[in-house]
Amino acid sequence: MKTPSEENHDLIRWLDDEMTVGERRAFEANWQSDPELAAEAESMRWLSERIKAHLPAEIPVPHADFFNSQIQARIAQMEVDDARERAETAASTSSRFLWLRLPWLAGAAAAALAIVGLVWTQSGSSGCSTILSTYTPNPSMKAQVIEHVDAVATVLLLEGLDPIPAEKKVVGFHVHHAESDAEVATTTLFDENGAVLAVVALNAQGQPQMLK
Amino acid sequence: MSAAPAATDPVEQQLDVDLVIRSQAGDTRAFDLLVTRYRSRIYAMTYHLVRNDTEAWDLAQEAFIKAWRALPNFKQDAAFYTWLYRIAHNVTCDWLRKKKIQGDGEFDDEHTNHRAMPGSRTMPQGFDTPDRAIKRQELGQRIDQAIARLSVDHRQAVMLREIEGLSYEEMAEVMGCSLGTVMSRLFYARKKLQEMLKDTYENPI
Amino acid sequence: MTTTFQRQNIFCKSGLWRRLCLSCVIWHASFCLAQQPTPAVVRQPATDGKVWGALIYATTDADKLTGSAEQMPTTPQDLPARLAKVFAPYTHFEIIGQHLQDVFREYESWVVPSRDLFLKIDSKGPAEDGGMNLHLQVWREQQVVAKADAILRAGSPLFIGGPKWRGGQLLFVLELRKK
Repeated sequence: MKTPSEENHDLIRWLDDEMTVGERRAFEANWQSDPELAAEAESMRWLSERIKAHLPAEIPVPHADFFNSQIQARIAQMEVDDARERAETAASTSSRFLWLRLPWLAGAAAAALAIVGLVWTQSGSSGCSTILSTYTPNPSMKAQVIEHVDAVATVLLLEGLDPIPAEKKVVGFHVHHAESDAEVATTTLFDENGAVLAVVALNAQGQPQMLK
Repeated sequence: MSAAPAATDPVEQQLDVDLVIRSQAGDTRAFDLLVTRYRSRIYAMTYHLVRNDTEAWDLAQEAFIKAWRALPNFKQDAAFYTWLYRIAHNVTCDWLRKKKIQGDGEFDDEHTNHRAMPGSRTMPQGFDTPDRAIKRQELGQRIDQAIARLSVDHRQAVMLREIEGLSYEEMAEVMGCSLGTVMSRLFYARKKLQEMLKDTYENPI
Repeated sequence: MTTTFQRQNIFCKSGLWRRLCLSCVIWHASFCLAQQPTPAVVRQPATDGKVWGALIYATTDADKLTGSAEQMPTTPQDLPARLAKVFAPYTHFEIIGQHLQDVFREYESWVVPSRDLFLKIDSKGPAEDGGMNLHLQVWREQQVVAKADAILRAGSPLFIGGPKWRGGQLLFVLELRKK
């Protein structure tokens, strides 16, 4: 017997033409014994057609030439800023690593790098967690990913985060398990005794709110 | 997700893949062609989500700027448009969260009513009588308002499927979730729309 | 039609609809809280695995530790030593909160060792070698500060360097556990 969730998914897949011919035939065969399902399917199909007919997939951009030229201008400005930043970094790096120009130290550094590389190759990255992509909404923040061989860990460094005021009390939970209710978009957190620690509910902006 | 429409202009016939490679090498003219190719679709997406001309314009531009910044890391393992769309989706959803306008049910009567581009698959077919045209416009407004009242996740699911025509796999990629979540969001979004537009179904135009 | 629309518009403009929805959610949440510690009867959705998440305070000064009663887990093995390798110069690591969470197949999962810093996880299905494809969001209270697509594999934790606090730093550790 199918769960309510699977039944919902069947209806959606039927509507979106994501069923095989056999699945579709079987789904539609149910309509005779389940007029409610038939009415639901028909109502959703009607709605889907109206939405498709009403909302355009493309809207001409107002002042399209200006749209493009402004993007080009911003890119040009970014290139200038980046070049300046690179020049400043290079200048500070070259003075910081001046000692590396000593021949014996350069040799030692190369040997150390070779050892690190060997350790990395031997450990292999296939068994390690991997970060495929990152995104930080705040433009003043940066996310840096490091695969740390020695600690056998993948590290995501979030740079540019505002510090938490020292006087603020950061309180932890010991969450034993959680239960989720998709209908009302809440997750209830329980401790090991089954007592509720908090409820995570999404507000109208899709942001989590901790109740309790 | 479909790529650029077929064109006879040799410039427009250039493949995304070639333009992306040239852009990655720093060719801003190649990137300009990509902007021209996809700006209407990206702008439509940002407009449908934020429902304000000026903000949608800025957000679409921001998406292209972020894409340019991120191009060196783009491995072409997905279609360029899918990748670009995801960036635009992230930029817009984050902006909505900041502005706290998501799903708050506030309708602005001054919002511009956009019309579909000529030749778009979404253009209503046939000719209406004046009375029928007015009713269709009313239904359009009701649909706009109902979609505006959905949460960002649900609104996005409806748009990706009904407007963009993405497959479930592509939707999961753009929305950063599983296929099951895609189906659940589509189901609940449509249930909510159905409820809000129930009277129009019972008294069809 | 027009009358219905106007009524609906006023209803929405006044924010009544939003308040009603939020009230329902909060009422539901309050009801859950009032019911504790009654065992829940909600049928749980399908899962793709389990993750363990912890919020950790890192500092160079043992006197600044908060006195949290949370114990270091046996896995990830040698967690303090591994954290020290990554987050030098910090030498003391204290678990502020921890959370063992099922990763739901169809719904978002929250890993909440603290109300200040927590994660939202969406499963994107299994990966090779028993790993799990995830979309992660790092939340700081009501702001999403970072998003990432990741493959999490058992035995290879993900360390997240968070905000500075009390002269030290808050860290997040996420590890895939067996289902």
